[in-house]
Amino acid sequence: MEDIRIRRFSTLRIIEHWFHAIVFSVLVITGLTQKFYYLDISEYIIFHLGGIDYLRLIHRYTGLVFALMTFVHIFVALFGILSGRWGVTMKIEPKDFRDLIQNIKYYLGMEQYPAPCDRYSYRQKFEYWGVLTSAFIMIGTGLMLWFPIFFTRFLPGEFIPASQVMHANQGIVVFVIIALWHVYNSIFNPNIFPIDKTIFTGYISRERMLYEHPIELARMEGKELEEILREQRDLQYERILEES
Amino acid sequence: MGRAMTVTILTFLISLLSVFSSEGLEDVEKKKVGDCLQCHGRPGIIKRFENGETIEAYVDIERLRRSAHKGLRCIDCHSDFSEERHPVSRFRSKEQFKIRMALICRRCHKCEEIKNASIHLNLTREESGGRPHPCTNCHGSHAVREVSRRTYGNEEQYCLNCHGHPLSLSFRNSETITFRIDLSELQTSVHRRLSCSDCHFGFSESQHPRRNFRGRREFSIANSETCRRCHFDKYSNTLESIHYTLLSQGNLNAPVCTDCHGFHSIQRLGKERILIARRCQKCHEGIYSIYANSVHGKALIDENNQDVPVCIDCHTAHNIKDPLTLDYREHIPDLCSNCHSNKVIMSKYGLSTDVVKTYLQSFHGVTLNLYRKQREEFGKPARLIAVCTDCHGTHNIISTRTIEPAFLKANLIKRCQQCHKDAPPRFSDSWLSHYKPSLSKAPLIFLIEWIYNIFTPILIGGILLQIFLHVWRYAVNR
Repeated sequence: MEDIRIRRFSTLRIIEHWFHAIVFSVLVITGLTQKFYYLDISEYIIFHLGGIDYLRLIHRYTGLVFALMTFVHIFVALFGILSGRWGVTMKIEPKDFRDLIQNIKYYLGMEQYPAPCDRYSYRQKFEYWGVLTSAFIMIGTGLMLWFPIFFTRFLPGEFIPASQVMHANQGIVVFVIIALWHVYNSIFNPNIFPIDKTIFTGYISRERMLYEHPIELARMEGKELEEILREQRDLQYERILEES
Repeated sequence: MGRAMTVTILTFLISLLSVFSSEGLEDVEKKKVGDCLQCHGRPGIIKRFENGETIEAYVDIERLRRSAHKGLRCIDCHSDFSEERHPVSRFRSKEQFKIRMALICRRCHKCEEIKNASIHLNLTREESGGRPHPCTNCHGSHAVREVSRRTYGNEEQYCLNCHGHPLSLSFRNSETITFRIDLSELQTSVHRRLSCSDCHFGFSESQHPRRNFRGRREFSIANSETCRRCHFDKYSNTLESIHYTLLSQGNLNAPVCTDCHGFHSIQRLGKERILIARRCQKCHEGIYSIYANSVHGKALIDENNQDVPVCIDCHTAHNIKDPLTLDYREHIPDLCSNCHSNKVIMSKYGLSTDVVKTYLQSFHGVTLNLYRKQREEFGKPARLIAVCTDCHGTHNIISTRTIEPAFLKANLIKRCQQCHKDAPPRFSDSWLSHYKPSLSKAPLIFLIEWIYNIFTPILIGGILLQIFLHVWRYAVNR
């Protein structure tokens, strides 16, 4: 039973994640050093990347790659949805807010079970949309900072410092989402520690599907959700018995 | 009664003795000075010259006795005169009289002998050039003595005995300088406690070396070398200055110590800051006139404002760097910040002390600081980046309060366009003119900052709370 592995991500998604991980790291390193230029570590990074001019060039062109990847992602997603290859799995629904409330109640001991999730949990959706909207803000403001002369031809001059403030603050917001939320959920979460390998291998164990994506598993196996949840709870009960 | 008598008799006897002894001495002198002193030994004989000047023909026997010529008779010098003859001579002036009288000295002290003392060299040269210096000016007449420190109370008196008279010095390139040292000038200078030879080393009562300069400027430069003997710190600073660099490249017009500080009348600078600017003005007239019309210069000149910077506040006094170097340029914000970050000074004029900080936090300021460090630590070449002076000007800084905002804006975009060639007029608005964003200035930026200041902590708090609850539930379940 535990040996069953289910394909969760295609090779394309694995490559896309690798790209994003690298590009994002470069952007964060070269971006935060510019925001916190007065720290010793920032100076160390700036000087060892060949000076502030090179650092800015690296940041801008990596940003360009990031922008391209974002647009490719959107086109692929739209193409997949329109051609019917995959469903609209990332759409935020009222259920997600109900799930959030149920989970918080569960954490506080007011509910017996956490909310059963579909392909993506509300936490993953929050992260996805948080990063995607941030990406648009970062790309837009980043371009204004890169080409201020072009943009002030038709926009007020004040938009340039406004872009700077927004770019820096939104950068920190994305960094917080990834550094705290994403890293916790895929590395430090005690359920999956030391690391969630799904995005690297493309496979997830059926047992984890049982806990984390029971609705999707039920759909895949053509079973009722109730049946899957019963299986999940039995397994949990067995575990407790084993451990005690 | 008897005791009083004894005292009177004793006093009489002692006074009688002293009369005898002095009469004995005068007997010897009478042979030498003849009967001249019968008249000339009494004060009150006046000789009047044609121009109305007078001289007292009184000879002090005591001074004569102490003189180097105490073995001579009056007629040995005044050879026209004798017990029988007393010719009446007529002189135009006291000066003519002195010159004529001084010729008497040359009868014994021949020209060749006089020239042996280097101190006389210039004097004899001037004499042959038609400007005689009577010997008596320095050596005195009847009280003639060897000129030495013993004769004069201090070195100044000794030196001024000659240099207190107008003397001229000629150079190889036939330039000359005429100077007369004024004791009162010396006494009001900061060096009033020094002796002449403290600065004019190598010169003393016994030594007066003959030096040979090409011209006036070489003479001044050589003389200024003496300052370093005490002010070595300042001297070593000047070695790093652009003035010294120019001098060492052969430009003799580059200023040396004495050009700014003066020499015998040297005064402490700094009490009156306008004087400092005026010293620089001597050579930098063009820049001074620009400065005089700037907000700083006007305040200094019109209001005698002592807060405003004068030349040396930015350029320093001694190690004046070439202001056209990158190194100087990169330190300009530091120079401005010396005053413009000083709350005490700025509050007097209602100026913000944030101007330097807002610049340093701006794109230009951050880049400048990084360029500077890159260059200093890794020797990386840096590009030019806008500093204070690129927008505000250097010597011609004017107050933005006196300019129409529209005109100011038009000016500003021109400054932007110096680097950002195609910048449209609106581009200058991207600079917030040193203002911190607020509802009245740059409300858009203020609002964005405000939103993030609320949103980001809530986001972080929410995420941390969710993580904490998750971990807590996991721990409880186990």
